[in-house]
Amino acid sequence: MEIALIGNPNTGKTSLFNNLTGSYEYVGNWSGVTVEKKVGVFKNNIGKLIDLPGVYTLNPLSKDEGVVTSFFLHDSFDRLLNILDASQLERNLHLTLQLLEFDKPVLIGLNMIDVANKRGIQIDAAKLSEILGVPVAPVVARSGKGCDKLVDIIGTKSMQPARKNLVYYGEEVEEAILALSNEIKGETGHSRRFLAIQYFEGNEYVKKYLHQMASSEKLTAILTNLEVSVQQRYNVKTLANFIYLKRKETIDKMLAEVVSKNGEVVPLTEKIDRIVTNKYLGVPIFLLFMYLMFELTFDWLGTRVSDALDAFFSGPLTSWLEAALTVVHASAFIHALIINGLVAGVGGVLVFVPQIFILFFFISLLEDSGYMARVALVMDRIMESVGLNGKAFIPMIIGFGCNVPGIMAARTIETPRERLLTILLTPLMSCSARLPVYALFVGAFFATHKAIIVLSMYVLGVVVALILAKVFSSTLLKSETSLFVIELPPYRLPQFQSLWRSTWDKGKGFVRKAGTFIFGGSVFIWLLSYAGPAGLNVNMNHSFLAGVGSILAPLLAPLGFGTWQAAASLITGFLAKESIISSMNIIYFAKNDAGLQGLLSHYYTPLAAYSFMVFILLYIPCLATTATIYKETGSKKWTVFAVVYALAIAYCLSFVIYQGGKLFGFV
Amino acid sequence: MFCSLKAGDKGKIIDISHVNHLVQRRLLDLGITEGSEVCVKCIMPFGGPVMIESCGQCIALRRKEAVQIEVEKL
Ligand SMILES: Nc1nc2c(ncn2[C@@H]2O[C@H](COP(=O)(O)OP(=O)(O)OP(=O)(O)O)[C@@H](O)[C@H]2O)c(=O)[nH]1
Ligand SMILES: [Mg+2]
Repeated sequence: MEIALIGNPNTGKTSLFNNLTGSYEYVGNWSGVTVEKKVGVFKNNIGKLIDLPGVYTLNPLSKDEGVVTSFFLHDSFDRLLNILDASQLERNLHLTLQLLEFDKPVLIGLNMIDVANKRGIQIDAAKLSEILGVPVAPVVARSGKGCDKLVDIIGTKSMQPARKNLVYYGEEVEEAILALSNEIKGETGHSRRFLAIQYFEGNEYVKKYLHQMASSEKLTAILTNLEVSVQQRYNVKTLANFIYLKRKETIDKMLAEVVSKNGEVVPLTEKIDRIVTNKYLGVPIFLLFMYLMFELTFDWLGTRVSDALDAFFSGPLTSWLEAALTVVHASAFIHALIINGLVAGVGGVLVFVPQIFILFFFISLLEDSGYMARVALVMDRIMESVGLNGKAFIPMIIGFGCNVPGIMAARTIETPRERLLTILLTPLMSCSARLPVYALFVGAFFATHKAIIVLSMYVLGVVVALILAKVFSSTLLKSETSLFVIELPPYRLPQFQSLWRSTWDKGKGFVRKAGTFIFGGSVFIWLLSYAGPAGLNVNMNHSFLAGVGSILAPLLAPLGFGTWQAAASLITGFLAKESIISSMNIIYFAKNDAGLQGLLSHYYTPLAAYSFMVFILLYIPCLATTATIYKETGSKKWTVFAVVYALAIAYCLSFVIYQGGKLFGFV
Repeated sequence: MFCSLKAGDKGKIIDISHVNHLVQRRLLDLGITEGSEVCVKCIMPFGGPVMIESCGQCIALRRKEAVQIEVEKL
């Protein structure tokens, strides 16, 4: 049995999905968190549950909404589980009425009962169920309350809608529905009434679907006739509007029977909003939040834990391993591979796990509290001036964690031009994999201003992205259309447990990558540094790795880091940005106590170090990001463009910083 | 016109048809159309977006679109 979850954005579908299937998918307090279909299995094995992006209606505007409409038309499923936000019942029921027209078994999960009650809204679920003719189960997806009952109902009750045609659309429309149904008789397995109404509303997906099976002239004729007669008789602007109003009438009647309100309460949300979306304080507050985040990550907490971990890896762990290797009489080759390759390479990345977790914790806090949509609001004016809209800032913030989900999140941007632009620019956001590089270099060169230097990297990424957005949108991607309408969800106090889970879920990826990709990469890089044209165990300066690196090194000299070591680690950075660190650890393998940080000062000046950090911030999207850009744009041309422009801009900026800095007498 | 409203003012929408049709569609999705009561919560500086409240939900839209909505002050 396959059950599809469907409902308005931000109503708690994914929370329920996680609860019922025991999985952990992405939850956040803004509209458009889920952007693709996800499948899970019910805990009690009664079937599969399919999580979908949130939609307001089945007539899509953006790509993530299109996913749902295509799913409806082309995929098979047995039942629908419609999630309603009890505190926004009126708006949610528009979708429900459309779903009921689809004529498949439907079950309604009435979610956010706690929120509704707090606002003084009481809903008679039994009555609602009676009117709609399908079972209604009140739940609180966040805490899991009522979920058992919901599963019970799924397993036992019939959910075939007991009532047909809840909405009567008036004589003209009903006639046209019949006429259109006749045209497509026997051609489709879907409800013809549903298809007809969607077609009348201007649903492009349904239009394409219907035009495949019946003569498009006939269908268009029915539609235009209907439009004319409705406009004449009822004096409405469009047919779509007329259909909307008919649904609204039905809903209003329904609500009068099931909803009772007592006493309005001024929600806390409004009080918070008065501060964080304050006219003048909005942007400074956001920057302050980011600054605190970096202070905690790099100064107050993260670095201390990381240093302790580092001391453990290079001290006790290495000696234990060495002892163990001696006991098993490992060959010199294996010994070097494990100590100089793996411990240096993988350990060098794992050391940064504490810092990365702190960063992820803050990103999760941003996502779960409801602040995300406010940031979009606050940033919209700036984004508008560069040809984007405030919503494009959400993918960018997600990109601070990892660029891949950031690029996926661009699906919620309605206009294709702005979406493409966002996809191209999100890789400039400094992801967590770049963080170890900063941590290492600020530790070595800028010990007194760690947080500020790192913040400058993040801000630089955003500023470069904004400037490029302006450049691209006034040259390559010209167009006027831009759309910014965003829902600002009420603030929700993040629960510690869900915060921890979402931090863990993001951080897990980092650890897993260290165990697989970086592990493999470290072995490979170590081999390249161990072998050379002259054979095995050569001096590293004569290894294959040095050979490859020195080809590129002269090119990098004007940027301040023209060493083969820097060049070689940059090459590996394309695979994954953490590889830069593991390569450096292997290359500069330091047995003494000074460690890598101490060694670096022989190779870099502070100015060169800053230039190197800037280069790494911008130079190329990693392999996974490049693949995602290709998947999301579907165009080789734009993928190549994303890689090439990034390289060019990184080179230019590092050049300007290094040479300019030298002119001004920095070193 | 929306510009006659200040933060904190309430109004009723009487005509929304001059607004860009995509924006109209999105507003309709959110249940905001002719006849809806709205309350202006906050107007961002430098011609930035406005934040309005309607039926218990907050939404933001751009100033240039907001001024095309005709409202009657309540
Ligand atoms: N108070 C309360 N909050 C809830 C409840 N269910 C979900 N939430 C919160 O609502 C927010 C949205 O939850 P999601 O599960 O991401 O919503 P969604 O419907 O999947 O959202 P989209 O994927 O954007 O369509 C999260 O912050 C949840 O913690 C509930 O029953 N009560
Ligand atoms: Mg979701």
